[in-house]
Amino acid sequence: MREMIEEILTQARSRGADFADIRIANGQGTSISVEDGQADKIHSGESSGAGLRVLVDGAWGFAPTNLVTREELRRCLDDALAMARAASGHVTDRGMVAEVEPVEAQVDSDARTDPREVPLSDRVRRIFEIERVARERDERIVNTTAGYRDAAGTLTIANSFGTWIEQEATRCSVRVMATAQSGDVRQFATESEAGPRGYEIIEEIDPEAWAGGTADKALALLDAAPAPAGTFDVIIDPRVCGLLVHEAFGHNAEADAVWAGESILAGHEGEQVCSELVTIVDDPSIEGINGSFRYDHEGVPGRRQEIITGGVLQGYLHSLETAARLGAEPNGRARAQSHQDEPLVRMSNTFIEAGDATLEEMIADTERGLLLKGAYWGYVFTARGQFTCNVENAWAIEGGEPGQHYRNASFAGLTMEMLSRVDAVGDEISFDLGGMCGKGGQSMYVDAGGPYLRIRDIVVGGQQAAGSGQ
Amino acid sequence: MSELLDLAQAAVEAARAAGADWCDAYCADVTEISVDVEKSSINNCATIRDQGLSVRAYTNGGQGFASVQQLSAHSARECAERAVAMSRAAHPDADFVALPEPAPFGEVAELFDDEMAGLGADAFVGWCARGIEEALAVAEDAIVQGGAGAGWGESALAGSTGVAVTRRGSSASLYFFVILNRDGDVGSFYEHDQARRLADLETEGIATKAAEDALKQLGSRPIPTARLPIVLGPLAAMGLVGSVIGAADAESVQRNRSYLAGREGERITSEVLTVREEPHVPAGMRSAPCDGEGVPTVPRTLIDAGVLTTYLHNSYTAFKAGVAPTGHASRGGYGSSVGISAGNLQVQPGGKTEAELIAEVDEGLYIAHASLSPHSITGEVSTTADFGYRIEGGELTTPLSTTLIGSTADELLGGIDAVSSDYREEPGFIMPSIRIASVQVASEG
Repeated sequence: MREMIEEILTQARSRGADFADIRIANGQGTSISVEDGQADKIHSGESSGAGLRVLVDGAWGFAPTNLVTREELRRCLDDALAMARAASGHVTDRGMVAEVEPVEAQVDSDARTDPREVPLSDRVRRIFEIERVARERDERIVNTTAGYRDAAGTLTIANSFGTWIEQEATRCSVRVMATAQSGDVRQFATESEAGPRGYEIIEEIDPEAWAGGTADKALALLDAAPAPAGTFDVIIDPRVCGLLVHEAFGHNAEADAVWAGESILAGHEGEQVCSELVTIVDDPSIEGINGSFRYDHEGVPGRRQEIITGGVLQGYLHSLETAARLGAEPNGRARAQSHQDEPLVRMSNTFIEAGDATLEEMIADTERGLLLKGAYWGYVFTARGQFTCNVENAWAIEGGEPGQHYRNASFAGLTMEMLSRVDAVGDEISFDLGGMCGKGGQSMYVDAGGPYLRIRDIVVGGQQAAGSGQ
Repeated sequence: MSELLDLAQAAVEAARAAGADWCDAYCADVTEISVDVEKSSINNCATIRDQGLSVRAYTNGGQGFASVQQLSAHSARECAERAVAMSRAAHPDADFVALPEPAPFGEVAELFDDEMAGLGADAFVGWCARGIEEALAVAEDAIVQGGAGAGWGESALAGSTGVAVTRRGSSASLYFFVILNRDGDVGSFYEHDQARRLADLETEGIATKAAEDALKQLGSRPIPTARLPIVLGPLAAMGLVGSVIGAADAESVQRNRSYLAGREGERITSEVLTVREEPHVPAGMRSAPCDGEGVPTVPRTLIDAGVLTTYLHNSYTAFKAGVAPTGHASRGGYGSSVGISAGNLQVQPGGKTEAELIAEVDEGLYIAHASLSPHSITGEVSTTADFGYRIEGGELTTPLSTTLIGSTADELLGGIDAVSSDYREEPGFIMPSIRIASVQVASEG
């Protein structure tokens, strides 16, 4: 196959491409869904194909195929060149790539237990057991689902610089959701584990603590009051911190947004942009968590990048193109959902570094505020630097003591203003937000985390009148 | 097209031979072209030919599903055998009754447009180039993002009950997101159009409108925290209506994970709201003569003066409930199994224009784009309203920033006090504006 791929790349250069790359993917995956005591949906998918990309006269052309043959790749090359040429007459800001040394590498999977070698019936039994624990926790649990996925395959990355990387990858994930009902109130809670590892992820779970604890969280929310609306000092837990650093901040550090004029960070390199207590890092080299990888999908090694150090903006997350445009070193952040998609600049594992405060100290030192725990979803409007995060739980803090439990709270603000109001940073970090990030119609594996943080004067949206606010 | 159906039927035969009690197979062959606009420049053009098939098999009611990104006799057989193996590993499901029998249905006109399917990349590049020019003509410092694209193709569905359906479809879309950044004061706005027929697609004026609205978004400010009436523009209103219809998915209802469980036949919104589903509109974006299992689609009123008339069923949920399938089985492509979704939604217009609804509000919000969708399980709403305006004295005044809305489905839907007489129309869809009497708004003003 290598001879065939290199021939296509050589043809691409000889026909006018300044750069060309090909990704060839082959993969298999299984998913199991257990709901209300029944493993009633078991799916198996096979994917294969190649994505061919060329850069001609400053414009990109892309043409993927599901059939990896010499004839089909030649057709893709014709199409990709034609696409690039159609666009090139209207390029006003030429595309480019940073020149990098070619990489030759073979990367093995980090999986200890290949999920394909675990009998399907054993996998079904294990997921059923996880769901059963949540289902039998309490009679107010009215729905339980447990979902499992595994994926294993190879990805070959080749480009006209001479890079040739063959990566084996295995992933497993499991998610449990419990819905509890009391009268007209219906609440739910979820928990998930995911990573570039093997079936050991599933084996390491203690169903009683993990699935049972999820059911307990849903049950507790039945008694929580609707959250108040107003402005509060908030203390956020590592999950909410992860959501915040990924959604509110991280997308602004993706260099394609910086280049396109969509990031509030653009033009502030080297400046103090937020509290000196805040250091923000994106690091794909952390072993075994959901956003980890060795090489990105352009064949560049993924390396740790401090985005903010002590409140000072240091740099961004780059693809080959954004590195060239912004005059930076590529740091390996271009990834694509499949061979049918083009690589985009993506975060990996994004987090705020630990500080020196304890949670107890932060609560004791807060006269009136909210403790926010558990992340649902986040949203960012990068161009304006505005974010919203939705959280599972809130507890009132009055006179340094936690009190009333609330549900369904969101908080919002301007990202850099919010990071400037951080006045206490917890002394331990954790990563609990392994999941998928959506961008440009593609989903990608990421993780995020951090310590407990206290942030002053944050707008919280809830259903209750503003009387509870400050 | 018959080749796809032949392949689907071969997969069905292979699944039956492997021991499936019931099965169906779906094949698709789709071509897409897309052009991207970044930073007011056309930098990227792509074309994709995507082919694949999937097989759904049942053994003792347990469902197995398998897919492959190939179209060949060998891949059809292998995929069928894999689906059957999956179904054997699933638990028997006593609630599974049958897959639907073949039923006659008519054609829906103009779902495929030869002119659109023949478009080359130059057409999309031209639309994007004109859009960039339009936005820059409105504001020379505009940053234009966006793109244009189209997809067309064929699909075939075959079932062990004798269902045999072939379809062709096409669609195209164009969108622009315009950003203005004037010393940190950011205004931005989005506009789009979509159509199945080239003749229906607006390729001019989209970027102009996005740029003009981006200008209006400059100078955004927070407002005081208060309970306020809100007027939802056509897209925000359709987002809310679509999410409510989505929560009527019978599978979620039967599984007790929808806030609409137990509400069929009950009033779920105020009586001013009536929503029709019209799946047979020629060239409608979500028009289809039959659903993803070959069950004929039917025009019907889904919300009748506030009353939810029916849940949306596929064959599994319908037979489990002891009712006839409603024609709402959906397939997102060959890679995904059968879900449930509605066709074209048409909200019945009211008696006053959007301008009149706004004029009646002394202090409130107008929201153009926002997801006010209640959470499908809890029915609670907690969202942000970035693309909107404050209403003061019956007029739109300052654009909003950092404005949150907290509510519930019952409060939002029960509080709808008016639907506008004027509306936005996209092929198959009718989208008036909606006013809600009072919701909790939080901001830092």
